[in-house]
Amino acid sequence: MPDLNTWLLISPELILTVFGLLIIVIDLVGREKSHAVLPWVAILGFILAIATIPYLAQDQTIFAGMYAIDKFAFFFKAIGAIGGILTVLISIDFLRTRTPAKGDFYLLLTFAVLATMMMASSTSLLMIYLSIEFLSYMSYLLAGFLREDKKSNEAAIKYFLYGAVTSALMLYGLSLLYGISGSLNLADLTKQFAASSDLSVKALGIVSFTLLLAGFGFKISAVPFHQWAPDVYEGAPTPVVAFLSVGSKAAGFALLLRVALTAFPTFHAEWIALLSVVAMMTMTLGNLVALQQTNVKRLLAYSSIAQAGYMLIGVIAANVSGASPFMGLNGVLIYLAAYLFTNLGAFVIVVAIENATGAVEIPEYAGLVKRAPLLAALFVVFFLSLAGIPPTVGFIGKFFVFGAALREGFLLLAAVGVINSVISVFYYFSIIRAAFFEEPKDATLIRVPGVMTASVAICAALVLLLAVFPQSLIDLAGMGMGMFGIARP
Amino acid sequence: MPIDFLPILVMIAVVAAFAAIALILSGLTGPRRPTRAKLEPYESGMPPFGSAMRRVSIKYFLTAVLFILFDIEIIFFYPWAVLFRQLGLFGLIEMGIFILILLVGYVYIWRKGGFDWD
Amino acid sequence: MFNYLSLLIALPLIGAIVLLFVPRANDRVVRWVAFITTLVTFAISVALFASFRATADMQFVERVAWIPQLGISYYIGVDGLSILLVVLTTFLMIIAIGGSWNGITERVREYHVLFLLLESAIIGVFVSLDLFLFYVFWEFTLIPMAFLIGIWGHGRRIYAAIKFILFTMLGSTLMLVAILVLVFAQRDASGALSFALTDILKTPVPIALQGILFAAFALAFAIKVPMFPFHTWLPDAHTEAPTAGSVILAAILLKMGTYGYVRFAMPLFPQATEQFTPLIATLSVIGIIYAALVAMVQEDVKKLVAYSSVAHLGFVMLGVFALNQQGVAGGMLQMLNHGISTGALFLIVGFIYERRHTRLITDFGGLSKQMPIFATVFMIVTLSSIGLPGTNGFVGEFLVLVGAYESHLRWYTVIATSGVILSAVYMLWMFQRVMFGELSNPKNQVLKDLNAREIVIMVPLIVMIFVMGLYPKPFIDRMVPAIDKMILISKTKQQVASVPAMPAMPAMPHAEPMTVTPAAEEK
Repeated sequence: MPDLNTWLLISPELILTVFGLLIIVIDLVGREKSHAVLPWVAILGFILAIATIPYLAQDQTIFAGMYAIDKFAFFFKAIGAIGGILTVLISIDFLRTRTPAKGDFYLLLTFAVLATMMMASSTSLLMIYLSIEFLSYMSYLLAGFLREDKKSNEAAIKYFLYGAVTSALMLYGLSLLYGISGSLNLADLTKQFAASSDLSVKALGIVSFTLLLAGFGFKISAVPFHQWAPDVYEGAPTPVVAFLSVGSKAAGFALLLRVALTAFPTFHAEWIALLSVVAMMTMTLGNLVALQQTNVKRLLAYSSIAQAGYMLIGVIAANVSGASPFMGLNGVLIYLAAYLFTNLGAFVIVVAIENATGAVEIPEYAGLVKRAPLLAALFVVFFLSLAGIPPTVGFIGKFFVFGAALREGFLLLAAVGVINSVISVFYYFSIIRAAFFEEPKDATLIRVPGVMTASVAICAALVLLLAVFPQSLIDLAGMGMGMFGIARP
Repeated sequence: MPIDFLPILVMIAVVAAFAAIALILSGLTGPRRPTRAKLEPYESGMPPFGSAMRRVSIKYFLTAVLFILFDIEIIFFYPWAVLFRQLGLFGLIEMGIFILILLVGYVYIWRKGGFDWD
Repeated sequence: MFNYLSLLIALPLIGAIVLLFVPRANDRVVRWVAFITTLVTFAISVALFASFRATADMQFVERVAWIPQLGISYYIGVDGLSILLVVLTTFLMIIAIGGSWNGITERVREYHVLFLLLESAIIGVFVSLDLFLFYVFWEFTLIPMAFLIGIWGHGRRIYAAIKFILFTMLGSTLMLVAILVLVFAQRDASGALSFALTDILKTPVPIALQGILFAAFALAFAIKVPMFPFHTWLPDAHTEAPTAGSVILAAILLKMGTYGYVRFAMPLFPQATEQFTPLIATLSVIGIIYAALVAMVQEDVKKLVAYSSVAHLGFVMLGVFALNQQGVAGGMLQMLNHGISTGALFLIVGFIYERRHTRLITDFGGLSKQMPIFATVFMIVTLSSIGLPGTNGFVGEFLVLVGAYESHLRWYTVIATSGVILSAVYMLWMFQRVMFGELSNPKNQVLKDLNAREIVIMVPLIVMIFVMGLYPKPFIDRMVPAIDKMILISKTKQQVASVPAMPAMPAMPHAEPMTVTPAAEEK
């Protein structure tokens, strides 16, 4: 029977559960006026969840080894919660005119963040499946949240269909793994693989990893499981897209890293080969297709696919035994943190412009600098960061990821990554070009609510400050490498 | 130990055999006088009308899903009831929370008009 | 010790931030704030130059740990190779701000903010002694420049801006990869991870790696210089940029490329430098001749000046790769000269463009009658660009040719010399068509001569043209020790022996010639 201490260890999750319920109760009981408080309740929940993290005892598993309480998980929980906060901040204004059901939205969002937290901690095949499905269902609902909007419906259905297929594939992989080891625990799996010299076990291990990759690849939008991304990014409510591009992706990486590093070290060579191919395809396809996009949200979708490719480089180069500061794993963590603020910042701007003018096409961004000088200027900051140009935190992320790839001798991968980041400059620049170099068709000023301005300014400040003073981020990522079941630096 | 499960296996075999024998015997020995009324599908005593393939309102679907949802949650009460004494106060509080969450869900459906037919 | 160099980097940045708080409509205040900022920055850099000692050591060094576990530090300092470029930067920035006083009327505040950011970044490039820091500044020069071209440029400005950014990005990202590989190799050899140039120089780079790393560095720098065949972004960028943008681009940004060779590529990879010298010399010579020939047929004055830049930078590269004292000193001097005279040329083109809104040679003719002061100024600058004795261009070009002729690049030099003649041909021909002949076009008959502001801007440049042409000693003296040290480091052991003894070599910490490490010891 779990004691009180065990419950304390999952206090971030419990807090989010309570706050999710609280939101729905307020929504049901309170009057229309009191609904304005809902987003702030959600934010309070996220803040409390983050605040508990430093006080939790680490490096243990609870619930019979199903749930890891380690720094690695906490890193991702913090990312999820911060992503949640920023998403709520964007949503306030976005939802105002679009839907009456605000309580439901914040409830789903809170639970989606809860799901990412559970993914970050899962160390059992069952928990992995359940948490991924939990997140998926929250995401489907959020994607289709604008019921009157055909595109939103299309997004939800497509997302659901792709999700169902990949989920089935992953479930098959999970059941194969259970068949091999007779245990749901990732740690047992490692032992089983290490102990067995049976060729069929090896073959099944590779097959099941490939199948699992379908599930993870879906979440991180890696090629060939990326097809949902453009349509969902275009159709789903933009704040939801912002969350999916960051929270969902980060959680997918958390699981991928944990499974690959703790359950499959025996197949290191094999999964590296597999992921290398996936990474190269993801980067190249994402970037090349992004070149042809004219819709900002679709462009960001392909950009987000490409970014997943860069992050995969870090996963591949992850070397947890070496003493070099370039360990791949910390590269992914830094990259994800950088991407969190960068991409969300960019999305805040996209939402702000969409709210004020309805514009989502690049040509409609023409002359943005005259209509919203601050937004345009900060847009540049975020695009520089996405393209990995200093002095932005995105550069620090790329530096660590490419550095790890070079350190571990993945020269081809690094070369493909570098060429791709040059290509990416071109399409990021296409928005800047419209915003700065072209004349506006309509010169009215764009009014932006204070909350939006504040959140975009915070994101931009972090993007710049974390680049100039990256030490804290690097330290955090170094700490975040503490994963249950692998040797810690 | 697998041997411990032997009684269950025997049980399964007996049940299967009984069901098979009962079906086969009644099929072989029973009298067979088919009438129109007898061949009609059973519709709770109502005379069947219309096509079986006609479209059903989505409202039925919602009700069915809600029923299944709450029905399945009930299953969790069984293990709790079995272990009630061992779990003690902790179990009672836990179940209270569980029911509370279900209740929030119930109120949610109610207030959102999930039970309204029109 | 006071942190002069940090102050130099920070001042323009502070100026830029101050500008952000100046009300948008207040253009006059904006201009003055920017002007005063650059003026103060220049004053500090002159003070720096005055207290600079003519030794080979790094001076005004500052080193603060930045990312300790990666061995990255905020490590800056100047020596004879960089001090003059810093001064050139701060000097030309004043000219650039002054030169855009009337030409820029739209979004004046943003324009000056970008200029000041650019100044900060360029100074950063020239003083960085840490490869990571260098890369950060190097990349950061890109953005303000691209915006200056894209927003305030002419004609196909957008195309030019994007071409500029893509070309430079391609080179620089490869350089980043090379920096990482280099640092890792040095870590394996020495055991300590460090991005500091001085630390990396302590251990020879494995020969197996040198070729590829040099190629990556060289490509990034070659695009910036630009060397043939990577020069195609330059005519577009120069032509479409606003006047002051062209001045800075030609006069300073291009020098980042040549400086990169002198500071990084050659000392770090001596063996590879030796191997690549024929290739680079060939490309330089092709650049000199090709650019001169193309310049000759240009109809647009600005394009002509842009191509002349390619040719001039070819001379710089030739001198630098001669790897002897005269050659490198000539190359370095030529960087400064080109900065001053080409900067002046772009300003001059800007003056007539502001008056006539055309740059086609055929639209002009006989301007000397209408604008005598302008004609005089133009003549002096043209002669300086050609390299007439008495002007700065002569000293640099002469040293380059002497140095390169004395070195193993003798036959390249012979061909390159014809470029000197060609440059005289296209420059004088252009001058003749624009300034002399019939003043037939009625629009040209009402042109006003240079006004006081324009004269004030041109005077310092003309003074510098003569000072450096007649008395270059103070500049050369400060460069030579650092140049000698750089040559020593950049030469392989075998070559050093064959080079004639150098005059008065000061004490050098790195005077030990690079030893060739046997391949077996490498990773």
